[in-house]
Amino acid sequence: MKKILLILSIVLCAFSAQAKINVVATLPDFGSLAREIGGDKVDVTVMAKPTEDPHFVDARPSFVVSMRSADVLIDGGAELELGWLPPLLQNARNPKIEIGKPGRVQASQGIRLMNVPTNVTRAAGDVHALGNPHFMSDPIIAKAVAQHIAQALSAVDPANAAFYEANYKRFEATINAKLQEWGAALLPFKGQNVVAYHDSWPYFAHRFGLNIDIFLEPKPGIPPSPSHLVEVIAQMKAQKIKTIIVEPFHDRKIAEKVASATGAKVVDFSQFPGGLPGTDNYVKLIDTLVSRLAAALK
Amino acid sequence: MTILVVIASHHALAQTPTPTASATASDVAALRQQVEALTETVKALQQQVKDQQAALEKANITGNQLPQSEGTPSVASAPLPTPLPGASAQESFPTTDSSVVANAPTAPGAPTVNANGTATGQFPTTDESVVATPAGAISPTTGTPPTETSTGSLTQPITIAGGGKNYMNISFDGMFALAGSTARDLSHIEVGDHDPQQRGFNARNIELAFDGAVDPYFEGFANIVFKLDNDNETEVEVEEAFMQTTNLPFGLQLKGGQFFAAFGRINPTHPHTWDFADDPLVNGRLLGPDGLRGVGAQISWTLPTPWYSQLILVSQNGRGGTGFSFRNPGDNGIFFDRETTDREVRGLQDFVWIPRWENSVDLSPTQVVLAGVSGAFGSNETGANSRTQICGGDFFYKWKSAHAEGGFPFVKWQTEAMYRRFEAGRGVDQTFPVAETFHDWGMYSQVLWGFKKGWVAGVRGDYVHMQDSHFTDDLDRQSRSRVSANLTWYPTEFSKLRLQYNHDFLESNFFLSDRQVDSVFLQFEFILGAHGAHKF
Repeated sequence: MKKILLILSIVLCAFSAQAKINVVATLPDFGSLAREIGGDKVDVTVMAKPTEDPHFVDARPSFVVSMRSADVLIDGGAELELGWLPPLLQNARNPKIEIGKPGRVQASQGIRLMNVPTNVTRAAGDVHALGNPHFMSDPIIAKAVAQHIAQALSAVDPANAAFYEANYKRFEATINAKLQEWGAALLPFKGQNVVAYHDSWPYFAHRFGLNIDIFLEPKPGIPPSPSHLVEVIAQMKAQKIKTIIVEPFHDRKIAEKVASATGAKVVDFSQFPGGLPGTDNYVKLIDTLVSRLAAALK
Repeated sequence: MTILVVIASHHALAQTPTPTASATASDVAALRQQVEALTETVKALQQQVKDQQAALEKANITGNQLPQSEGTPSVASAPLPTPLPGASAQESFPTTDSSVVANAPTAPGAPTVNANGTATGQFPTTDESVVATPAGAISPTTGTPPTETSTGSLTQPITIAGGGKNYMNISFDGMFALAGSTARDLSHIEVGDHDPQQRGFNARNIELAFDGAVDPYFEGFANIVFKLDNDNETEVEVEEAFMQTTNLPFGLQLKGGQFFAAFGRINPTHPHTWDFADDPLVNGRLLGPDGLRGVGAQISWTLPTPWYSQLILVSQNGRGGTGFSFRNPGDNGIFFDRETTDREVRGLQDFVWIPRWENSVDLSPTQVVLAGVSGAFGSNETGANSRTQICGGDFFYKWKSAHAEGGFPFVKWQTEAMYRRFEAGRGVDQTFPVAETFHDWGMYSQVLWGFKKGWVAGVRGDYVHMQDSHFTDDLDRQSRSRVSANLTWYPTEFSKLRLQYNHDFLESNFFLSDRQVDSVFLQFEFILGAHGAHKF
């Protein structure tokens, strides 16, 4: 009898372990939200590393293995992953994560993307036809994405729908409360200009009333040229810009050169949880970004 | 967006009157600058508010109608139905934004932040200008895209679903090379059909590529290649045109049409993805100048293993120059000096059967290896019952920095080896004096180092051994080796400029003497349009 119980419990354990919902996220920010909402009911696999350029991730075969057994796939849906997600999807052969299925979350769905180009030309650099895809740095958008994830998880795992809903509510409440803090922390710097290496921050700037319109890259994806940097330095001096934000994969030395020429500070930023020390989830990431920026702008 | 900056200006304005008495002149100047900037913003915002209201009216929203504003709305007095903290400067930050998210995640009736300017001292937590629809309207079971609802008034379209706006991706790829060589017969020294074929300028791969979803069941791909021969006449190749399934169960996939055989790593890829300006010797000599490709079908199965493991089986006609070692009648009906038969398929043995098994594991978060074995088995045309067998193994390693920008820096190492057993019969009607069996083999190994964004340096070693014969003086049956070095600059992923040096050593055999050749290529390429992403 004991043996039977033991076997039964092992089988149940194995079953419950298997019963976890497999969530695959293209980018670490989506992965973080999936963990918030899914809790211990989901296994989350994130493809891109938080420190690497999300435009150029290798479509490595191990991702095919993850996607093959995914119950839910979360991608941006705004062509940020255009260079690497399509061949993976071709090879994944998983009908559950096709567009239109409940197991597919395209995070940009229902989001108003900024800077949608009226004309697409590559003469303007790496411009995304659907608009700027770096939308997750706006916490209000993150809430909408989290809700979308909660709905997808509820659809593929109806038994735990209440759990996902509750987690979403908790996340929403956290963000709402945090927004008060973040808003207050950045309030003194409303309207200030900040320079960024790449145009990844329009949503963050919009949310917190900053201007992040000057970039070290002359055009998106095009490496900084000396003549462009001269222009940037002149602009920074004229506008007394104190801060340059760079991401973990950018050439920090270039930012440092510009900083030393203008007396500005280089601030390490990241779009992704895990891209900076102590930012293992989305809320901590925004906490860090806000406090770093506030400290630099002081 | 509007709302936020309005609040911002309120705060700024509210705070300006309370500087400490010790405010310096520069502080005042800065503040003045700020106020001026804010005034500008407010003007712009007033215009936006007007636009917004106009659009809202158009959208004919009921129940939530914006108050009509007469004349120029003054920001200070206009009762904006937005999360305005009102005239009293309260510390409040919006926590919603319908300008970026389709709809406030909160229920429509729920008390949103300080509507009508009642100061609740909160930062808004919703923003209808950013979120388009109640996310709840996205049916979780059907995934029906949300319909655009009353949030109206917004200038940018809301993303409904990802993916392009076209039914297919169309791209154009032009690849050219300027060649210099000590050899007068570059078309013989270079073994691939898309390699530089003459001294001077070459245009050997000008390609139209199409891909897209056919319907919910299939995807389609096509590559049409134009090339200019040495007399500048245009040749056209239907290099690939195939369909493949998208959602078969059990990890299966079927493919049909004209396509490159899944043999090794270089063969299934298009020349513009190659890391060198030319084909490795072993590929050109054993699989053929155009690669092993043809009309056929493929089934592949991703094994349910914890690592990546895939079995592929291809069957193709293998007839003609793109089935080089198989049912290839050769130039003018001669192959390896035999007058060839050129016959119809007699049975399954006359198809080329190409199995492949490939595996990949991540050694670490930054390192990946992929290894495969391939085979190609079929008949050839040098005799009534002559057979060809080719076996190959390939290995690929890549390291990419965890802080990669644009995919750089990286190091990749790729090696392929092949062996061919070729039964050379006595030709049509037994006209050739002997039957021979050639055991030919070769390999290449290359290392590419992407040392800086856009910059790649590479070295490659090549060798192909062709069994010596006292009966066949075919120029292609000369054993030879090559070392290559190159430097490539990718201004973006849509253009490249490559300088390559080759040193070739051709060994002597019964008929041919040895020789050495030095060549330099300057390759340049551009891509237009939406070019499909490449496999790992």
